[in-house]
Amino acid sequence: MKVLAAGVVPLLLVLHWKHGAGSPLPITPVNATCATRHPCHSNLMNQIRNQLAQLNGSANALFILYYTAQGEPFPNNLDKLCGPNVTDFPPFHANGTEKTRLVELYRIIAYLGASLGNITRDQKVLNPNALSLHSKLNATADIMRGLLSNVLCRLCNKYHMAHVDVAYGPDTSGKDVFQKKKLGCQLLGKYKQVIAVVAQAF
Amino acid sequence: MALFSAFQTTFLLALLSLKTYQSEVLSEPLSLAPESLEVSIDSARQCLHLKWSVHNLAYHQELKMVFQIEISRIKTSNVIWVENYSTTVKRNQVLRWSWESKLPLECAKHSVRMRGAVDDAQVPELRFWSNWTSWEEVDVQSSLGHDPLFVFPKDKLVEEGSNVTICYVSRSHQNNISCYLEGVRMHGEQLDPNVCVFHLKNVPFIRETGTNIYCKADQGDVIKGIVLFVSIFEEPKDFSCETRDLKTLNCTWAPGSDAGLLTQLSQSYTLFESFSGKKTLCKYKSWCNWQVSPDSQEMYNFTLTAENYLRKRSVHLLFNLTHRVHPMAPFNVFVKNVSATNATMTWKVHSIGNYSTLLCQIELYGEGKVIQKQNVSVKVNGKHLMKKLEPSTEYAAQVRCANANHFWKWSEWTRRNFTTAEAAPSEAPDVWRNVKSVQGHCVVTLFWKPLSKLQANGKILFYNVVLENLDRPSTLKLLSIPAPANGTELTLDRCSYQIHVTANNSVGTSPASVIAVSGDPGNKEVEEERVKGTEDGFCLSWKPQPGDVTGYVVEWCERPGDPLCDLQWKNLGPNTTSTVVSSDAFRPGVRYNFRIYGISTERIPYLLEKKTGYSQELVPSDNPQVLMSNLTSYSFTLSWKDYAAESQPGFVQGYSLYLKSKAARCLPGSEKAVLSDDSICCKYKIDNPKQKTFVVENLQPASFYEFFLTPYTSVGEGPQGAFTKVTTPDEYSHILIRIILPMIFSILLIMILCYLKSQWMKEKCYPDIPDPYKSSVLSLIKSKENPRLTIMNVKDCIPDAIEVINKQEGTRKSLTETEPTKPTYLYLLPTEKSHSGPGPCICFENFTYNQAASDSVSCGHVPVTPKAQPSQLGLLTSSENVPKALGKNYVNSLGEIPAGETNLNYVSQLASPMCGDKSSLPTNPPEPALCSEYKTQMAIPMGLASPPSITLLDEGEHDH
Repeated sequence: MKVLAAGVVPLLLVLHWKHGAGSPLPITPVNATCATRHPCHSNLMNQIRNQLAQLNGSANALFILYYTAQGEPFPNNLDKLCGPNVTDFPPFHANGTEKTRLVELYRIIAYLGASLGNITRDQKVLNPNALSLHSKLNATADIMRGLLSNVLCRLCNKYHMAHVDVAYGPDTSGKDVFQKKKLGCQLLGKYKQVIAVVAQAF
Repeated sequence: MALFSAFQTTFLLALLSLKTYQSEVLSEPLSLAPESLEVSIDSARQCLHLKWSVHNLAYHQELKMVFQIEISRIKTSNVIWVENYSTTVKRNQVLRWSWESKLPLECAKHSVRMRGAVDDAQVPELRFWSNWTSWEEVDVQSSLGHDPLFVFPKDKLVEEGSNVTICYVSRSHQNNISCYLEGVRMHGEQLDPNVCVFHLKNVPFIRETGTNIYCKADQGDVIKGIVLFVSIFEEPKDFSCETRDLKTLNCTWAPGSDAGLLTQLSQSYTLFESFSGKKTLCKYKSWCNWQVSPDSQEMYNFTLTAENYLRKRSVHLLFNLTHRVHPMAPFNVFVKNVSATNATMTWKVHSIGNYSTLLCQIELYGEGKVIQKQNVSVKVNGKHLMKKLEPSTEYAAQVRCANANHFWKWSEWTRRNFTTAEAAPSEAPDVWRNVKSVQGHCVVTLFWKPLSKLQANGKILFYNVVLENLDRPSTLKLLSIPAPANGTELTLDRCSYQIHVTANNSVGTSPASVIAVSGDPGNKEVEEERVKGTEDGFCLSWKPQPGDVTGYVVEWCERPGDPLCDLQWKNLGPNTTSTVVSSDAFRPGVRYNFRIYGISTERIPYLLEKKTGYSQELVPSDNPQVLMSNLTSYSFTLSWKDYAAESQPGFVQGYSLYLKSKAARCLPGSEKAVLSDDSICCKYKIDNPKQKTFVVENLQPASFYEFFLTPYTSVGEGPQGAFTKVTTPDEYSHILIRIILPMIFSILLIMILCYLKSQWMKEKCYPDIPDPYKSSVLSLIKSKENPRLTIMNVKDCIPDAIEVINKQEGTRKSLTETEPTKPTYLYLLPTEKSHSGPGPCICFENFTYNQAASDSVSCGHVPVTPKAQPSQLGLLTSSENVPKALGKNYVNSLGEIPAGETNLNYVSQLASPMCGDKSSLPTNPPEPALCSEYKTQMAIPMGLASPPSITLLDEGEHDH
């Protein structure tokens, strides 16, 4: 449940906020109507592509900022500490239909958004003076929120999908500090790898 | 006896009951052993928590017991800790005890056992140990999981300088594990084949975000690590307490450094006073208030304790309350009885005890500086008289106090401003005058300098000017000039006056300043001397006057070019003969004029000397306009009489004349000089600044020169200007002019006459119908071979004769070389006599054209050689054939002329029929008029004119 309190619930509240909101929303509402809070942009796919390109463009810089801020042994042992060994990361098939790709993208961004929330929270405590890292993390999370909204709009408008089942990564709040640093590094390494493939697929 | 028996029975019963009770409680000592021992782990703090109870105690029984606890590591025989823990035990009470391990508990298996004993004085016979409990094993390694490598302790927080033990647990025996701290490998001790321990001593503080310690295996991708947080926690500094009112103590301190990521919010400060035993938890990190006890406690011993997650830090302070009094600022501060020179300051202080005295300090500020400082002892009310003040001056007075007996700190200042009263001006104004004579009157302009603040003693309201006529002493005239005027103008008659000037404020009048004006202005002519200024000003000196002189005055204008001039003066004593005049208004390049006056005993100024000079001389600002005159072949004269040397920013000492010429050497009186543009020229130096003309001599005729004249001062020459060009005239040019001009005039005159008489000239020189008698050919013929030749008369023509002219073929001679040919006449008809005179016919030939033509046909006569074929002649005689032949040749000339023969041969035509042409006689009898007729020239091709093809032109071909 900690994962919900940490990053997922605020994220979903933002995404699914409607008039009368205040009671907790189900993560995947079964009977949710396919309606969006705001009218979708006319050129959604273009916006999605741009947002993916934006994320892809900044992913490597974020990765470098992160592992540099963690100190030794991270910068010199990237393969061992920051390898993209994230077991439960949602899959992505670049050769699938647009609908499939959008659904998979939605899952990936939801997963990444939650994980990024955990990383941001941890780094504010562990590296309170790494302001550029915080700023980059926040900016990336902002873009992801917008991207998730656009993907949802697209799924809703074109494919009439009201909800997508999503999964989230492990919560780091109970981990020790070194493990937090390592998990964050692995996640960002994976993010850098995946976002390049996804951006290419759209 | 019965009573004794009863008592004995009772005693025995009681003893029996006690025995029974004792047998109930203590009959089985093993039953007081600790039971239900449980051991748990707090990994964060690396603690073992023990929990047990003693069951076999009686209800409500409470005994002091001691428990001996043994802790072994790895194996039970390896006991690493033994401790006796004493406590009071109740029945079924859960007892707790904790032990912090230096070694991370995950690194090794731990076992715990304990036993207990009664440690109560009531039952000393029961003080023996119970049996040991069984070993309780604590093995965290078994629950770690399946990772190949672990490092402990996680997120350990230690204080800087402490010792830390770190270990790793490896699941593989084969791998070599190496561990690093900040990139430096650590060397440890093998606890068992899978566990290695590292002892870090005196750990340093590296950063707030912790220190990464990691271990990695030689094989595989395994890296595991921990973060060690090191905290710095210093004791508080500058701990101090004081009181301001003897009711409250205010203690302050500077918190020591407390660096460490996880410890920032865990600080707390406690103040403890040992004499009273009171303690207070401070709300703030740097200060705390303490209520002074009403029981007249004098001595205080404070302990300030700072505490964080890891440890405590304390500082102590022992003091007497009366020695730590920081008085409140004085109040009810007033400045009273303010006169021109005195004022009294009064104030009150807060009492700090019945018998204490305060020391108060008074400071008097004038114009931002402390001018008086005084200490005064005060009980409650303070008073201080401030003397020697200046009239009409603003002052500030301030007072502060401290404990006189045991000085601790001054109170804050309390400040008051005040202004002293005015007084009459103390000094006479400094007066000077300027005297001019206008229309028989004496116009006196009086100037005075405003009194300084110290002299004025208040605000000057007006100036009184009293005019005393020295010739009529009883006549006085009073003028009142309101301030802030610094002068006035008076129109006086020729009489002598003495002028008294006084300054007045609201309190009184200043002493009078006296100056006299005589009837004679006394502006005698004094020669002006030059004086050199320096950075410090002008150093002026003058000769002492033999008579009685009451003083000297130096007068000058600070703005010489300005009509208002800004007149300045300086009063000097009678024994002074020099002074330095300096002013911020002096500017470089400005000429200042100084006048030195002596003041007679009658207070009449008279001019002694004049001085002039520059505070700093500059180079001339402009160059003179030079006029050139008297230009000859060898010299010219330059003049610059309009140049105002006095207006230059320096004394002009002379002039430099630069002369450029093609000559390599400079003329006598000049020297070579290099200009700013690196060109070389000759320089004449004119040392006399009054010389305004210069003759440049020894020049070359018909030569080009350039000159440039510039003045110079002691600093340098004037600005570089343009050179003026001049060319000396040729030596003979005047002669040429005397000849050429009249010639040109004459030619012009002739041309005008010719134009006016053009008709006459035409008739005379080139008439439309030339007069053969005036022909040059005729004259040529006459003059050469046949002087008898003359114009043929018609009657002289012999119609039956052909004149044949012999001509040598193949000779080409010019006209001038042409030998005259002898004409030969073939007489077609017998003549009566041989005609030996000149030929009867004349032809005109144009010699201007083709040489070949002139060679081949020297005349219009048909050249007929003696061998001429009759057929050819026949052709010639046939007038019908002429056009035919002409047409044929003409066609040829157009279509068949070779490229090299395209020259035209112009032949001057002779009128036909030719004289003596017999064939033409029957049809065209000769007419005298035709003989001398000119025919229009016609261009014919060379071929037509060349022999032997002979062509004649008939009249029809001429009339175009």
